[in-house]
Amino acid sequence: MSQTTLLERVEPVARDVLALTLRGRHGPLAPWQPGAHIDLSLPNWLQRQYSLCGDPADPDRYRIAVRREPLSRGGSEYVHLFLREGRELTVSLPRNNFPLVPAPSYLFVAGGIGITPILPMLRAATALGAATSLVYTGRAADTMPFAQELASRHDTRIGVGRADLTALAADLDPSTLVYCCGPEAMLAAAEDAFPAGQLHVERFRPRTWQFPANRPFELVLARSGLTLPVSQDEPVLDVLDRAGAGVPAGCREGVCGTCEVTVLEGTPEHRDEVGGAADRLYPCVSRALSDRLVLDL
Amino acid sequence: MLGEPGEVIKAKVRTRIDSHFHRFIAHSPFLCLATTDAAGYADCSPRGDYPGFVKVLDEHTLAIPDRLGNKLADSFTNIADNPGVGLIFLVPGHRETLRVNGTAYATDEPDVLARMQVEGKRPVLATIVEVREAFMHCGRAVVRSRLWHAESQALAEEVPSLGQIVADQLALDAAAVDADLEAAYKVLY
Repeated sequence: MSQTTLLERVEPVARDVLALTLRGRHGPLAPWQPGAHIDLSLPNWLQRQYSLCGDPADPDRYRIAVRREPLSRGGSEYVHLFLREGRELTVSLPRNNFPLVPAPSYLFVAGGIGITPILPMLRAATALGAATSLVYTGRAADTMPFAQELASRHDTRIGVGRADLTALAADLDPSTLVYCCGPEAMLAAAEDAFPAGQLHVERFRPRTWQFPANRPFELVLARSGLTLPVSQDEPVLDVLDRAGAGVPAGCREGVCGTCEVTVLEGTPEHRDEVGGAADRLYPCVSRALSDRLVLDL
Repeated sequence: MLGEPGEVIKAKVRTRIDSHFHRFIAHSPFLCLATTDAAGYADCSPRGDYPGFVKVLDEHTLAIPDRLGNKLADSFTNIADNPGVGLIFLVPGHRETLRVNGTAYATDEPDVLARMQVEGKRPVLATIVEVREAFMHCGRAVVRSRLWHAESQALAEEVPSLGQIVADQLALDAAAVDADLEAAYKVLY
């Protein structure tokens, strides 16, 4: 499912960061909750995932912020150099792998462009009457989007360099939930510092994992009745494509959750960062531990 | 016999990739790469991917990823012998083409290859082109050829498939060759 938008506004919000405002081309856009992201389809055929950082109460607009990556693979560079206001752009329905779970108090930890999903969460948590605090760090003050508007909040600490997450963890109330989004080093530090039961993280890029060697297995598609061998060299997504049973894919790195399929039988080997339910498989990266895996396809 | 080019035509030749040329390359999914070997024999080969697959590293330097292909590697062999290359970039629907001439070398520089990653796979090699001249080529050839007209696609139906061509040339089974090709085309990276 996709939605057509018009690029209403492009504005710089920090060094190498542009905020894009997308307005529904044919009326209101699909509603969303803080933490959600969309796939943005660019005119150069590339698709990229961006967290929504605008106001969920505005039914007509999505807002995202895009940092230009120095080693851009063509997405952020295109947005920064070539995307023009007034252009029609297709976006997906919002998906939320990072939902705000009800709690009496929240600690938000953001690094750089990782502030984007945190921004609407912070507002929502405040509106719900929860106690909030935000620790927001970046490499340099001018690289941190929305820092100025956040600086006026009494519950916000903004700084350059690394946040002392260990100190924050030491003072953490057991009822407080921690939401963290930022570069991998920050996420890894957060996972070391905070109790797993209290921590929610959102990754833009997958971690580097060491997985056991790929093993071949048999894929059964329950609805179409197809049985497909999956060799050790081939991603499940490619096997599905090849069999004409392809599913839509986004990041192809196990981050965005676009290619989600349901497992009916067998034991999946989850290699994704989405962290969905155990019976959900992300075939771009995940495989099987059992010799046979039955999918609801 | 051909006459002299006019002043505007001569002046349009630039020695760098300006913002217009950059935008053209960023929207081009296809180019032809001409090289010559040590003996001066010429070769021309197609390159294609998503628009902007050729990276503009700076205004004097382009990088072209080397994707899965026929492993003949004529271009790399030629570039090693003779670095002169000529490129024609096409943008579907656009009448004019962008011509870039320069010198080339192969690279496996990780920062260059990282920018060319598609579907989690990065190329093993890229061709770096140092730009000597760049210019827009007038659209008459594209206009006359009706290259972007939808009706023009019917021409392909009148031409045998690669399977049929190879089968006739090598006495193989055309359907089997075409089936192998279709399977191979499903894996692009």
